[in-house]
Amino acid sequence: MAETKRKARDEPKHMAKKSKKQQKKHSDSKTPAKKDKKSDARKRTGPRLPNSLRKVLDHLNRNGPSNSEDEEEIESDEGELYAEDLYEYQEGVPQEESKKNRRFDPVENFEYELPQNFKDENVLSDDDDEDDVDEDNGGSKTADANGDEIEEEDGGRHVRMLQGITGMPSEAFERKKKKNNVVISEVYPESEYNPSREILDGDGRISMEDLLGPLQDKPGFGKLRKRMDQMKKSEVIEAPLPQAIREKVERGTAYKLSKTDITKWEPIVKKNREAPTIYFDENTDLGFSTVGAIASEFEPRTEFEKQMASLVYDDNVMEAHRKDGSRLLELNKVSVEDEKERQNRIAKMRSLLFCHEMKAKHIKKIKSKTYHRLLKKNRLKTSAMEIEMDPEAAKEQALKQEFKRAEERMTLKHKNTSKWATRILRRGLQVQDEGTRAAISEQLHQHALLSRKMNSMKDNSSSSGSDDSSDDDDDVHKNPAVSDQGRASKLLEKAKEKTLKILEVEDEVPKSGLLSLPFMERGLKKRKEAADEEAKLALQEYESSLKQMEDSSGAENPKASTSSGRRVFGAAVKTHAPESRNMVKSDTFYANSDSEDDMEAKENTADVGNNKSNDSQKDVHPDSVLPHENTEIVQDSVFKSFDDIVRDPGPKTTYEVAIFASDRWRKMESRDKMDAKSKRSVKSVGTEHNQDSEEPMKEVGDHSDSESEGQMVDGVLALGPKPSYELPSQAELIRQAFAGDDVEEDFENAKQEVLNEENPEPEKPVLLPGWGQWTHVQKKKGLPSWMLKDHENAQRKREEALKKRKDARLKHVIISEKLDVKAQKLLTKTLPYPFTSKEVFEQSIRMPIGPEFNPATTVGALNRPEVVKKPGVIIRPIEFKEVNPHENTEGHKSSGQKQKMKKSKGNGTKMTKKTKMAGGKTMKVK
Amino acid sequence: MSEELDLKMKKYLRGGAANLEVLQDKKLKGQLAHRENLYGKSAKAAAKFEKWLMPSEGGYLEAEGPVEKTWRFKQEDIGQAVDISSARNQYDVVLPELGPYTMDFSSSGQYMAVAGRKGHLAIVDMKNFEVRKEFQVRETVRDVVFLDHQLLFAAAQKKYTYIYSPEGIEIHCLKDHGTVLRLQYLKTHFILASVNKFGHLHYQDVSTGASKSYRTGLGRTDVMRVNTVNGVVALGHSGGTVTMWNPNSSAPLVKMLCHHGPVSALAFHPNGHLMATAGKEKRIKLWDLRKYEALQTLPGHANTLDFSQKGLLARGTCSFAEILSGAEHYSRYMNHSMVKGYQIKNLLFRPYEDVLGIGHSMGWSSILVPGSGEPNFDSWVANPFETRKQRREKEVHLLLDKLPPETIMLDPSKIGTVKPARNKEKPTKKEREAEMEAAIEDVKGSITLKNKTKGRNKPSKRAKKKQEIITKVKRPFLEQEMREPQLSRKKQKVCVEDELPKSLQRFTRKKAAT
Repeated sequence: MAETKRKARDEPKHMAKKSKKQQKKHSDSKTPAKKDKKSDARKRTGPRLPNSLRKVLDHLNRNGPSNSEDEEEIESDEGELYAEDLYEYQEGVPQEESKKNRRFDPVENFEYELPQNFKDENVLSDDDDEDDVDEDNGGSKTADANGDEIEEEDGGRHVRMLQGITGMPSEAFERKKKKNNVVISEVYPESEYNPSREILDGDGRISMEDLLGPLQDKPGFGKLRKRMDQMKKSEVIEAPLPQAIREKVERGTAYKLSKTDITKWEPIVKKNREAPTIYFDENTDLGFSTVGAIASEFEPRTEFEKQMASLVYDDNVMEAHRKDGSRLLELNKVSVEDEKERQNRIAKMRSLLFCHEMKAKHIKKIKSKTYHRLLKKNRLKTSAMEIEMDPEAAKEQALKQEFKRAEERMTLKHKNTSKWATRILRRGLQVQDEGTRAAISEQLHQHALLSRKMNSMKDNSSSSGSDDSSDDDDDVHKNPAVSDQGRASKLLEKAKEKTLKILEVEDEVPKSGLLSLPFMERGLKKRKEAADEEAKLALQEYESSLKQMEDSSGAENPKASTSSGRRVFGAAVKTHAPESRNMVKSDTFYANSDSEDDMEAKENTADVGNNKSNDSQKDVHPDSVLPHENTEIVQDSVFKSFDDIVRDPGPKTTYEVAIFASDRWRKMESRDKMDAKSKRSVKSVGTEHNQDSEEPMKEVGDHSDSESEGQMVDGVLALGPKPSYELPSQAELIRQAFAGDDVEEDFENAKQEVLNEENPEPEKPVLLPGWGQWTHVQKKKGLPSWMLKDHENAQRKREEALKKRKDARLKHVIISEKLDVKAQKLLTKTLPYPFTSKEVFEQSIRMPIGPEFNPATTVGALNRPEVVKKPGVIIRPIEFKEVNPHENTEGHKSSGQKQKMKKSKGNGTKMTKKTKMAGGKTMKVK
Repeated sequence: MSEELDLKMKKYLRGGAANLEVLQDKKLKGQLAHRENLYGKSAKAAAKFEKWLMPSEGGYLEAEGPVEKTWRFKQEDIGQAVDISSARNQYDVVLPELGPYTMDFSSSGQYMAVAGRKGHLAIVDMKNFEVRKEFQVRETVRDVVFLDHQLLFAAAQKKYTYIYSPEGIEIHCLKDHGTVLRLQYLKTHFILASVNKFGHLHYQDVSTGASKSYRTGLGRTDVMRVNTVNGVVALGHSGGTVTMWNPNSSAPLVKMLCHHGPVSALAFHPNGHLMATAGKEKRIKLWDLRKYEALQTLPGHANTLDFSQKGLLARGTCSFAEILSGAEHYSRYMNHSMVKGYQIKNLLFRPYEDVLGIGHSMGWSSILVPGSGEPNFDSWVANPFETRKQRREKEVHLLLDKLPPETIMLDPSKIGTVKPARNKEKPTKKEREAEMEAAIEDVKGSITLKNKTKGRNKPSKRAKKKQEIITKVKRPFLEQEMREPQLSRKKQKVCVEDELPKSLQRFTRKKAAT
């Protein structure tokens, strides 16, 4: 930075010299590129020229190329020179020169004069500035006197600076330096408009000293001079760096500083990190922790809090609070805006309502039937949907339905009671035209629909409903007081009457339409005849049942009558022809009911019979058993002798036999327990007699086994404890004894089976004649090579798989390779995070850490948590303390904050100062 | 001294640390190193405490000179040498009528259950030799086993297995076990295992009642033992095979051919690595269960085998019992001959005592076997001097510490380790591609085209042929790839619903139809 500054100051000199040199030497080698670079460099480092000046310079530069080479050089140089002049004018000279008049007003002047970032200047170029100033001063004073030496030094610096800026090697700038040494003579005569070099350099200019000279003997001069000196020291303010670079530099420095600041924490953090346990039990004094205690300590800190506090603790408010709470209500006024909003809202609602009303009126006025029909349909649809969706609506609907039904039943509006209907009926239906008939039937249908009992959605159960309905029926027919018996008979009579009536009354068959066709007539007749027959039958039955009733008072099942009664009523009310069949049905129903009763009775009898038969069967069973028993009991005596025979060999055999007693014999046992002695013998003999399975055979086998064992045992016994295996004959004998059962081969087969189950053997390639190749070719060549290869591969794979088995090398062992699915949950699915090696992980979990497995002295250490903290302890941000980084952290009970401060003499005393980290290291708290 | 300590320490270190140098993660390395340090301290402390916690050493028989043999010592000689309380353990109980006796000790050795073949059941307090309860079930009793749980015991009777309370009250009748020939109890799992006369192996959890049954398919057997270390049940079969089972699989975990003749007896060493089997072909074999190899073959019959807590092996035939000992190589240690005609049914070492119980056809007897029992008991495991209160406390603890049946496996130390990668897992796309490439390269290298007749040997045709061969090789891979993505998509669909917790599943978007 210093260098760039110097460059800014030195440049004019160089330029002047250079131009002269060039003029003298007429060196052609200078390339425009270099110039450009230089100008670039200048542009980058120097201050910004005003735009107008820049334009002028550009113009000058542009003019150049049109002239001859030399001229160009000169002119361009001149242009630069002008630029430098301008530069000088702007930056180097101005302060003393332009503000000369005002510099005695130091404070103001100073403040005014400083560029925005004077601080930066001070910070960055502390020593350089001074040097520069000195140098400058010296330079300006003894520019000529010092001559070449300074020039050279300056040149060197300049080259370095250029090098730094352009990034080119120093050789590129070598020549210029040499040129600098050459003395330059002026081309133009010295004049006002053509200032000499000296003037330009500042030698000929009026200096401070010149101005101060005459004031030397005036009072206050000393003061003035002192100030002057002061001013001088900081008078030249360098051009500020571009912001980006400045910030970069700033950041760099800041980083360095913060780095050094941060690194002092390193040992502490490292120590905390490495510590197996961190303790936070230092400040155990918890103090009060009530809400009041905390609130009383509250101090407003932020702006907002302060404002709030000022409002809350406002005198007026406090006073009002103290005096009267109602005053506070005055503050509770409703604002105009709120009121307005409310009004608006209400108005809106009102207008919406109005709109709705108008719409409804309009719809009501519409006379189109189709429209209304559609509307109704729609409504019904929606209501139906609602019923489906909503139980509440369904209930409502059901209620409505019920109401309608009640109304219908009360008014009988749709019955043929209206004037119109009666009139038509009087005149006879046959006479009417089809439309009227249809209308009547429609009306009747409606009635039927309306008066039909709906399945109520109400909570009352169906039974109660039926009760109600039966009650209703009773009401209708005014037979409340009649006993069941009487009612039934009455009903029967009624039914009889009705059937008779139907039989008498000829069915009115329509003479026109489809039914008038001959075959239809015939069919109808047939049906009618059948119905008549049925009716007659029914009549007979009625009579018979009536008689029965008279005979046996109340033998009928009341239940049947009630259950069928309603149905009959419903049918009896109807008088139309089609109902006759219904009637018949009901009749048949009656018949059914009767027959049912009969059936029941029959069933009962049958049941009894069954029972009997069952009993008889049971009897038969026992019978079938009993004789056995009897026979056995009879045989007992015979067996006893048997038993004795069995017993003879000794108790051993008898208890063996006991195993095979079957259930039946067990039963018998219980009975037999009474007669204690003969029991076992019976059992044993019984089992032997039973002979229903191979068990006895087995038993026999067992017997033989045991016997043989006994024999063997005897043999061993005879041999005694003495080891007799040395005798080859014995070993031979044993080998021979077990030679029969090829145990090894069996085992091998079993193993092969298991292996095949897990890795099935590949199928052998089979040649299908004519497939894949002509038969004659197949015959000649045999199996295709790929088949063979596949087979071979498969076989190899299998062998490899078999080799991987644990028991691959153990001939006499089969170890199951099946995955124990249930045990999988006991294994770790994946390697847990910090571990990278399975072995390390498995070794790390090998030790149990519980108190059962470890001495009490180490259990605590083994199970200590990572953080030891008492509840309620506040964890403060980490504090800086001296820590010896090479100290062993283990065994350090007090780590982190508990550590005592240590002052190490070697380090600077500054470090002992306690500092607090703002963010602090956040601690894990368990 | 330090060497001894080191040896003891090694035992407590359980294998030592893994090589931490493999780890890249410094933090983890530090943590593990710290842990290992703690483990070391713990092991050292434990090794030091051993001196105080395990004060007594096991006894033994020592022969003087080369002529004297330990197996020549008679019980009378031993009885004279030992103290009175130990000498009390030499006795014979003669009960000639109720058939050969079997017995079982409770895990602390405090009680003994005896069962006579002809229905005599009794519980004996071994401290004062009092019969706590004695009753007759009037049925064949084939086996009896202590459930270690409120002092219940199970008896395999003629038809069913019954569980009795210490007062002799029948608590359960286990009907679905069938006619049980042999019973075993898995103490830590609370499982009663039985094998019935049809060769069905039946497991029943006595705490929950859950049961499971497996068909062995190897015929009737009454040779059954449980390996106390891992809970695996071993059965000896008539084909000379020994099968090992756990309740989770219907097939045996291990099936090994041990003998040419039928297997007559079986026993497990308390360390779980050693198994002794006896065959009818007059061989006794010792097996290393880690390698499934026979370590040693001894001549002799054995109707019954049993390992003591200290690793002595007892075998019994007819009226003769022999005790073998040895660290690696088992050799004769003691002999005991009973009255001729007695048939030894069952041999069982009493835990925490140097006593061998013998059940035989004429009652039961008990002899002293120096060095058989564990001299130092751990009251957390089994306390021979347990009071009633302690027992009650322990029962609760046992229930709380009950292991689920899944933990029964051949190597229980595998629990908690990383699941081994299944070799049948699908290859990744990259692998598949690489495989395809390799196959193509393979084919390309081996293409040899015949020289055909003039018109057919055109280079274009040859190139075509080559291309065909390559596509033929490629096809199976591509087809497989075509098949894969559909599967995966299906899986994903299923997964989305599965992943959600049940409460949120109803919010998953159903198909557009609804």
